[in-house]
Amino acid sequence: MLCGGLAVLAAVSGRAIAQVEDHGYSAADIQAGFKIYSAQCQLCHGPNGDQIAGINLSRQRFKRVVSDDDIKATVSSGIVSAGMPAFRFQPAELNSIVAFIRSGFDTSGTPFKLGDAARGKAVFEGKGGCTACHAPQGEGRFNAPSLSAVGAARQPVEIQRYILEPNKAMLPLNRPVSITLKDGRTLKGRRLNEDSYSVQLRDETLRLHSIAKADIKSYELGKTSNMPSYAGKLSDTELADLLGYLTSLKGS
Amino acid sequence: MRTALGWAFALIAALVMSVPQAAPAAEVSAARIQGAAGEPQNWLTYGGGYSSQRYSALTQITPANVKGLKSQWVLQDNVIGVWQSNPLVVDGVMYVTQRPNDVIALDAKTGKVFWQYRYTTSPDAKVCCGSNNRGVAMLGDTLYMGTLDAHVVAIDARTGTKLWDKALADLNLGYSITMVPLVVKDKIVVGLGGGEFGIRGFITALDPKTGDEKWKFYTIPGPGEPGHDTWRETDWEHGGGSAWVTGSYDPSLNLIYWGIGNPGPDWNAAQRPGDNLYTDSVVALDADTGKLKWHYQFTPNDNYDYDSVQVPVLADIAWQGKPAKVMLWANRNGNFYVLDRATGKFLLGAPFVKVNWMSGFDANGRPIQTPQPTGAATYPGNQGGTNWFPPAFNPKTGLFYVSAWENYGSIYRREQATYEPGKVFGGGGQSVVSPAPGTPTPGIGRKSLINNWTSETGNGAVLAIDPQSGKRAWTFPQFDVTEAGLLTTASGLVFTGGREGYVYALDAKTGKELWKAHLGGQINMAPITYAIDGKQYVSVIAGRTLVTFSLDN
Repeated sequence: MLCGGLAVLAAVSGRAIAQVEDHGYSAADIQAGFKIYSAQCQLCHGPNGDQIAGINLSRQRFKRVVSDDDIKATVSSGIVSAGMPAFRFQPAELNSIVAFIRSGFDTSGTPFKLGDAARGKAVFEGKGGCTACHAPQGEGRFNAPSLSAVGAARQPVEIQRYILEPNKAMLPLNRPVSITLKDGRTLKGRRLNEDSYSVQLRDETLRLHSIAKADIKSYELGKTSNMPSYAGKLSDTELADLLGYLTSLKGS
Repeated sequence: MRTALGWAFALIAALVMSVPQAAPAAEVSAARIQGAAGEPQNWLTYGGGYSSQRYSALTQITPANVKGLKSQWVLQDNVIGVWQSNPLVVDGVMYVTQRPNDVIALDAKTGKVFWQYRYTTSPDAKVCCGSNNRGVAMLGDTLYMGTLDAHVVAIDARTGTKLWDKALADLNLGYSITMVPLVVKDKIVVGLGGGEFGIRGFITALDPKTGDEKWKFYTIPGPGEPGHDTWRETDWEHGGGSAWVTGSYDPSLNLIYWGIGNPGPDWNAAQRPGDNLYTDSVVALDADTGKLKWHYQFTPNDNYDYDSVQVPVLADIAWQGKPAKVMLWANRNGNFYVLDRATGKFLLGAPFVKVNWMSGFDANGRPIQTPQPTGAATYPGNQGGTNWFPPAFNPKTGLFYVSAWENYGSIYRREQATYEPGKVFGGGGQSVVSPAPGTPTPGIGRKSLINNWTSETGNGAVLAIDPQSGKRAWTFPQFDVTEAGLLTTASGLVFTGGREGYVYALDAKTGKELWKAHLGGQINMAPITYAIDGKQYVSVIAGRTLVTFSLDN
């Protein structure tokens, strides 16, 4: 029992330390990792870490890596079958690479604070009114994405940017699309995929459509997000708590 | 007076005549390679002949009937990552490679495999941009393949057994081979890759029987060699200058032409003051000795990774009213060039996409560089206005065809790089100009089923360029960017593809889309064409499949 209790304590305190110390990775390490990444890793993995199929380093999506030690081992031994060479880094360099990846490639140094997740949940469901669009699972109203694993998919600074500056932060793929067809129908929704001849979208009732461009009369990609900005609407503590809650959502 | 049946016979005879019959299998002599244009039923070299025009005299498939193309067979393989191989077809047998260094011999009529050769690539091989291999060369009954670990392997084309295997360079220093060797007379000419690892690049000619070195040309001149003074102190030792794409050959001048890659470190030109010859250049080498005859440098003191690893396209055209031996070149740096290939004289240079790293040319054809402020966008971006994927030239239309990236820019970051053997020698990095932080942007190859970028980060297009003016004759835009090479035919067709997985036939004169088929995987090499038993075929690799089309009988 004592042992179990200690383990829980260690886990809890580990998380607490991670939060106050920038996830346990110093800004200096992240910056150093950025330099190593740019010089040694970017050519293959790309500036956003997403250039290899099935891998997105900045979003923590890997094929075989779970822990920080796994990252170090993979970097050190390489993956011959995939064309990744073995890199011979010093331990400090390996730590820096891990820090840079774990920071979600955040080189901006944007400050953020993670507050109490339980209080954040209350903000999410109460004052924030977030549940009006964001469903607990799956897409909600206006194609608002599920946030059930947002803490695994996005870094805190990114989530904060979405909350405060949704228009600026909106990725092109998330722009609300409005298509008027030659037969007079209008479809509004979210663009899922596109090529030279067709566009795939999910309308506001979440139905899927694949539309031939030849049938389109007008096609607009809006630059204004359906999500309102929360800048000035939440106190610093509420924002920190909300961030604490959202980053705790890691999926099942 | 002919009967209807008589007319039909005449028509059939004409159709058959237009496609030479498959000759009995014979050795691929140097003379056959030199005369490749005269046996269009075969595809004997990487570029479809020494001029690398990727122009075929086959005329069975025409603008009028191309809509009738049907898939005849598919070779599906376990290729992880983009499949960039360029098949050869020799007397009905196709030779194609797959990652990392396998060779497959198959019946080009049915797709049935005769044999497969597997080379064991060293686990220490280093490549910047994927375990690519672009195919084999053939001389006599022997196939020649470069390997990721910088060897050249000779393989018996009849049995698929290895004849010899020669290491050309130290893979621990980052040398590799992804290109297809060029057979020139009695030599196998090979260029090395590794420009991102601070190598000193070279091109070498090997004895086809033994692999012994016949000559070697360092792309970065050493002490005492002309051009050495374009490097400061010891910068040349790690100056890069890879040669990772196949060159061309002009038998009438006995010159080999080769495009040379970027200097090292890639992105920090301030760290290596000087022109940095012969990086980002085309070199003309004596085929017998490897001695430099002339060079032209496209991007002196390159700050943008503008490798000149495009295939030199040789054409005999009228230039200002007189017959001329020229070289046509759409460069990664965004400019289209016409050079006199006997002398290297600059005849024409003109941007074919948006270019802002330079504002024009001086009288000698040297670019007037206009570096952008720190943090501002440079056009074209890091992957270039075009790249390694081969262009084509059609002597009948007089047009040069190339896949281009439009409206695609990069913001560069410069850092002091320290050379360490076998490690990336980059000197900074770059990010693609995009509308919001974290926006997906095009890089090397499509990695997902979904196209999740927009035209704001760039788009692809097939361009037809008139060499006389450097201007576009037509543009065939694509939503996604493209890495597909080109094929053109005497019947007035252009075949190509793109990342979206379509293979297209376009009208060579107008760019009008005449036919397309969706193959579901990105096309990262040029289609080829050949004929067997009077029937013309077009083969293209898309994703993990090689698909071969022909008209139904």
